[in-house]
Formats: sequence, structure tokens, C-alpha cells
Amino acid sequence: MNTQTTEASAQSFSQPMAGTKPLVVMEGVTKRYRQGDVMVEALRGVNLTLAEGEFSALVGPSGSGKTTLLNMIGALDKPTSGRVSLNGTDLTQLSGAKLSAFRLHQVGFVFQAYNLVPVLTALENVAFVMVLQGRPPKEIEQRAMHYLERVELADLAHRRPKAMSGGQQQRVAVARALAAEPRLVLADEPTANLDTHTAFDLLDLMHELNREEKMTFLFSTHDQRVLERASRVISLHDGKIEEG
Amino acid sequence: MNTPDGKTPWKSLVRISWRSLWRNRRRTYITLSGISLGFALTVFFIGIGDGGHNNMIRNAVNMGDGHLTIQREGYLDAPMNHLFIAQGKQLEQQLLQAGIPGRVAPRIQLQVLASTSGNSIGAALTGIQPETDPKTNQLKKGLVTGEWLTTGDPQGVVVGARMAEKLKVKTGSKIVLMAGSEGGGTNTHLVRVRGVFRTGIEEYDSFVMISSLDMAQAFLVDEGANPAGRPVTRVAVFLDDESAMGLWKARLKALSLPAGLVVLDWQEMMPQLVSFVAFDNIGNYISLVFIFTMVAFGILNTIMMGVLERTREFGLLRALGMSPWALFTLVVMETFWLSLTALAIGWVLGGGLHAYFALWGLDMSAMYPGGMATSGTVMDSVIYSELSGARVGMLTGLILGITLLSGLYPAYRALRVTPLQALQT
Ligand SMILES: Nc1ncnc2c1ncn2[C@@H]1O[C@H](COP(=O)(O)OP(=O)(O)O)[C@@H](O)[C@H]1O
Ligand SMILES: [Mg+2]
Repeated sequence: MNTQTTEASAQSFSQPMAGTKPLVVMEGVTKRYRQGDVMVEALRGVNLTLAEGEFSALVGPSGSGKTTLLNMIGALDKPTSGRVSLNGTDLTQLSGAKLSAFRLHQVGFVFQAYNLVPVLTALENVAFVMVLQGRPPKEIEQRAMHYLERVELADLAHRRPKAMSGGQQQRVAVARALAAEPRLVLADEPTANLDTHTAFDLLDLMHELNREEKMTFLFSTHDQRVLERASRVISLHDGKIEEG
Repeated sequence: MNTPDGKTPWKSLVRISWRSLWRNRRRTYITLSGISLGFALTVFFIGIGDGGHNNMIRNAVNMGDGHLTIQREGYLDAPMNHLFIAQGKQLEQQLLQAGIPGRVAPRIQLQVLASTSGNSIGAALTGIQPETDPKTNQLKKGLVTGEWLTTGDPQGVVVGARMAEKLKVKTGSKIVLMAGSEGGGTNTHLVRVRGVFRTGIEEYDSFVMISSLDMAQAFLVDEGANPAGRPVTRVAVFLDDESAMGLWKARLKALSLPAGLVVLDWQEMMPQLVSFVAFDNIGNYISLVFIFTMVAFGILNTIMMGVLERTREFGLLRALGMSPWALFTLVVMETFWLSLTALAIGWVLGGGLHAYFALWGLDMSAMYPGGMATSGTVMDSVIYSELSGARVGMLTGLILGITLLSGLYPAYRALRVTPLQALQT
């Protein structure tokens, strides 16, 4: 999978499958956090390219910088240095408000837990991002229901999150991410709180959506079991990428 | 309100804020009961307070000189006996023709010295039409001995009980009344006590002496008045609807009244009562401030706790694309629902208390045995709650205003939540 042909790849420049258009490009990205008096280097010069339509796994032990990296791509945070571009837009050049607008229209998120707004039903949660996008109510309703059906939760449409299992909540989050038609879905350890069986089900569902909807997925995990589901594996160690 | 984050999702904000309020039901119920009970008590206190004041004012107006008084200019500051209205009958006719809904009472008010063999004291001689004057209602009830006056009685007076004691008179006794004239001399008339009344109001029981217009008119004639003109010192106007006072004051002023006459309302006639009510209201307002401070902190606490424990949720909303201002609005809305719900319950409870005491009254006789007399008037022992539209508006507006203010800080805290705060596990 790894094409070691260019200068860049010799410096561990992680590249997409050949022949596809790059959607995400990260160049020399570093991120430093101050923790009291200590500076923590969460990312130490990450170069990464993601192609449209990929279903990639970001693996690494806890603390290796997975969340930090996803936050950079998802326009939730800015790198200390380096460049991140999504779909041709340089995110490091955008201001706070533009970043959120960008996020709203281009990125779908599935977090590890607490994904859903507790006081909204499954259907309302799926609809929420589309409401923020300002889509017409009729369309929102149709799309929300369609994607709930897609994740096989149509019968739980009017349940609140606390009346759903962890796996069901994650599937609602996936439906919400897809319904908003982003360029890319970022999922930060979406299976961390699920049992093996449910975790595989969720990954299978995501993979299916990746193939049928041509949606690009990047999900992080520290669980080796799920790697077989990924079409590409990006390993992160101490803030550096070792693809393999 | 609309940042590039996306559309302000008003419907979602309403939905989320309303439902969030009921997330911690116990806390919301406790806050709601605190606020609505406090509010209901405020409504009760204000209702009884206003009812008591209005009762005192009505009593003062009824026993005094009506809602509106027409008298000579300067008489209020220096009530001298020569400042009479020569053509009393004509003025009365003019007022009757104006079609005032209520009653018109010609009166003669004089400062006299009352003397008997036992004592000499200053008295306020009030000549009235004994059968029709509104004063009759009040004072006739209070007769302790003797009888009420009859029209045309040239010599009869009824006196207050304290005055009767001081002068050592009873029914049938004679009293000599003396009044200073403009020229510096004195005029004297002999009167007979027909009855003694007791109102419980010191000013009345000690100083007031009632006679027919005919009797009191004798002093005005001494001052040069023509009895054929039916001279008076004032005409009191009693309105059926007290709220029409401003209207009728303006209308009477617009009549072409004889020169030198002024139209005064009860507030101008009894400034001491106005001060008393204002002073007494301070007490009500202090309890209002106390209760409203409680409300503010109750709301601040509830909303603040709700905001602090939902940092992750707000972060999620931000991460999903909601603008900081939409979050701010969300929290303000929550405050608003809490306050509206509290107001609704508060008005049901407080309105119930008000309705009950407006109908049945609150018996204050234990607090003020025999009624409370002050500032030349008396408060009945049973007080009926009264709430004007202005009061309802004021109380509602204050609660809404205070709640919105107390929601601002929590809303500001919500505004500052960053999307990253959703992700911290
Ligand atoms: N907001 C932050 N402040 C300080 N240090 C942070 C912050 N976020 C992450 N870190 C540090 O950066 C490193 C990478 O964290 P993270 O990206 O969360 O790793 P992972 O998601 O792989 O567990 C860790 O050492 C973590 O302690
Ligand atoms: Mg992480």
C-alpha cells in the first residue's frame, strides 16, 4: 500500500493510494501544548495526504497524538506550525468564525462518546447539523429519516440518547455526519466504548457507507482488532507517522 | 446573531432550551417553587398593601372633601373665613349641569373657637346639607348619643366625642362659637348640641363640629356674604369612578368657573396622606427587593449549575457548528422559560390569594384593634386586596427583567465554551 518512490516518502511522507485526488494534505504539522511548565509535543512534523474515498485507520497508543491530528484536519484546532489543507482550502489561514463555517459544511464528526445532544431525539440529532447548515425543513426531514434507516435505527427515531445503547448512539452519530454531506468524516475512537461485536458492526457500517456513498473516512483507534477492516492504516507514535 | 457558523436555529434553540430546563427536574422544581412562592407572597403583600392604602384614601376622600374640591385660590394655604364663594348656589348648579357621574356637596368650612362654661377649644365647623352630604354616611354611623342634623336647622351641631369631653357637653348643651373676621373683629353665634359621634380618628373626634349649611352660613353673612347667593367655602365633588378623577379634574378646570376659584384633587388637598402612602410603600418595596434578590440568585444558581455541568455538551454544539451567540441565546432562553414558568405558577398562586382576599378581605382587627387611624384618615379593620393593571405589569416586568439579567452571566460562560471542550475525556 505504501509507495516508497518519492523523496518525500523517504521522510515518512504518508501518501494515498495511487491515482486518486488528494482531499487532505498535511505538511510539517507540529502541535505543542503547554502543560503547566512543561511543553508537550503532541505532533512532531506530520506529513500526510488523504485521498477522496479512502477508508483509513489512524492507529497508535493512547497519547500518541491521534485526537490532536484529527482536530487539525477537522478545523477544531490550529497547528503550532506547518500547513493543513482540506479540499484545497488552507485551514491555517482561516479565522475562528470561518473555521467553524468550514467545519459545518465540510467535516462530519463522530466522537468517542457523548456524541448526541441529550435532549434531542435520534431524528432531531441527525437533523441538527442540517438545520445549522440552513437546509429547507422538508429536505432535512427526508434526509434525516433516510440516514436513520440507513443505519437501521428508523424505529428508534423518536428516542432520546439515554434510551439507546452505546452502539446505537454511535450509529446515530454516523447518520448525522453523513446526512450533512461533508467532504470527509472524522471519527475519533468511535468504537472505544463498544464491545467487540458492536465495534465490528459499526466499522462494517462505516465501511459500507464509504463504498456506497463514496464518503471519505478517517477514524482513529488504539485497538489492533479493527485494523483488518481498514483499507489503509496510518500509525502514529509519539506524534510521528509510521505508515505500514 | 448570525455568524458564519451557520444559521441561528431558532426552533432548535427553543426546543433544546425548554427541554434542558426539565433535565434536572428536581432542581428546576425546587427553583420554581421558591420563585413562584416568593412571587405569590409579593403579589399578596402588594395586593393587601394597595388595598389598605386605597381603603384609607377612599375613607379620607369620603370623610374629607371628595375626589375634587373647588374652593377659593389660596384657601388651602391660609383657610380664612372671608375666603368664601359668594354664589354657592350658582356654582353648585354649574357643576350639576356638567353631568359629573357622582355627587356634588356644597360645604362651609370655618375655623372657630368653641366655648362652654367648662372649656374653650379650637374647632373646625363644617356646614353641610345634612341629608345628602356624603359625610353624613360616615358620621351618622358613628353617633353615640343624640340625633343627626336636619336641613335648615339654624342652631344645631353634632360634635366629636373627644370634643364633647373637653367642652363637657352632651346632647342639648349650648356652645358659643366665635370666629375672627377679616377686619380683626369677632363674630359670635350660639349653637346647641344635637348629637355626639365617634369615628376613631383623632382629628375628627377632637376637632370636627358639623352643622347645617344654614347655621354655618351665619358666619359668612357676618363677613358680608349675601344669604340669597347661598355662600359656601367649597364644593366637594365625589366621583362614582375614582379612576376618572384626572379626566374630571381637567373637565372642571375647563368650565368657566367664577374667577378666583381653583379645582384641587384629593392629593393636593391631603398631601400628608400622599406622603404617608409613599412612606408606607417603602416597606413593601423593601420586601419586594428582598424577594426579587432571592429570585435572581435562585435563577442564577440553577442556570449556572446547568451551564457548568453541560460544558461538554456546549462544546459538542460548537463542534457541530453552532455559533457562540446561538449558545448565548440558548442559555438566555432557558432563563426566560424558567422565569415564565415561575411567573405562570406565581400568578396562579398569587392571583388566587389576591382573588380570595379581594372577595373575602383580610381581617386586620387583631393587628389594629378598632381600625388604624393615621394622617387624618382611617383604615377599615377588614382589608380587601387590590391590584391595578399597572401593578401587574410592574411585578411581571420586574421578574422578567431580573431573570434575564441573572441569565446573562451563565450565558456569557456558555458563549466562551470552545469546541475542543467537547472532546476532553
Ligand atoms: N489540550 C491539551 N493540553 C495539554 N496537553 C494536551 C492537550 N491535548 C493533548 N495533550 C497532550 O498531547 C499528547 C497527545 O494527545 P492526544 O492527541 O489526545 O493523543 P491520543 O488521542 O492519541 O490519545 C498527549 O501527551 C496529551 O497529554
Ligand atoms: Mg484521543
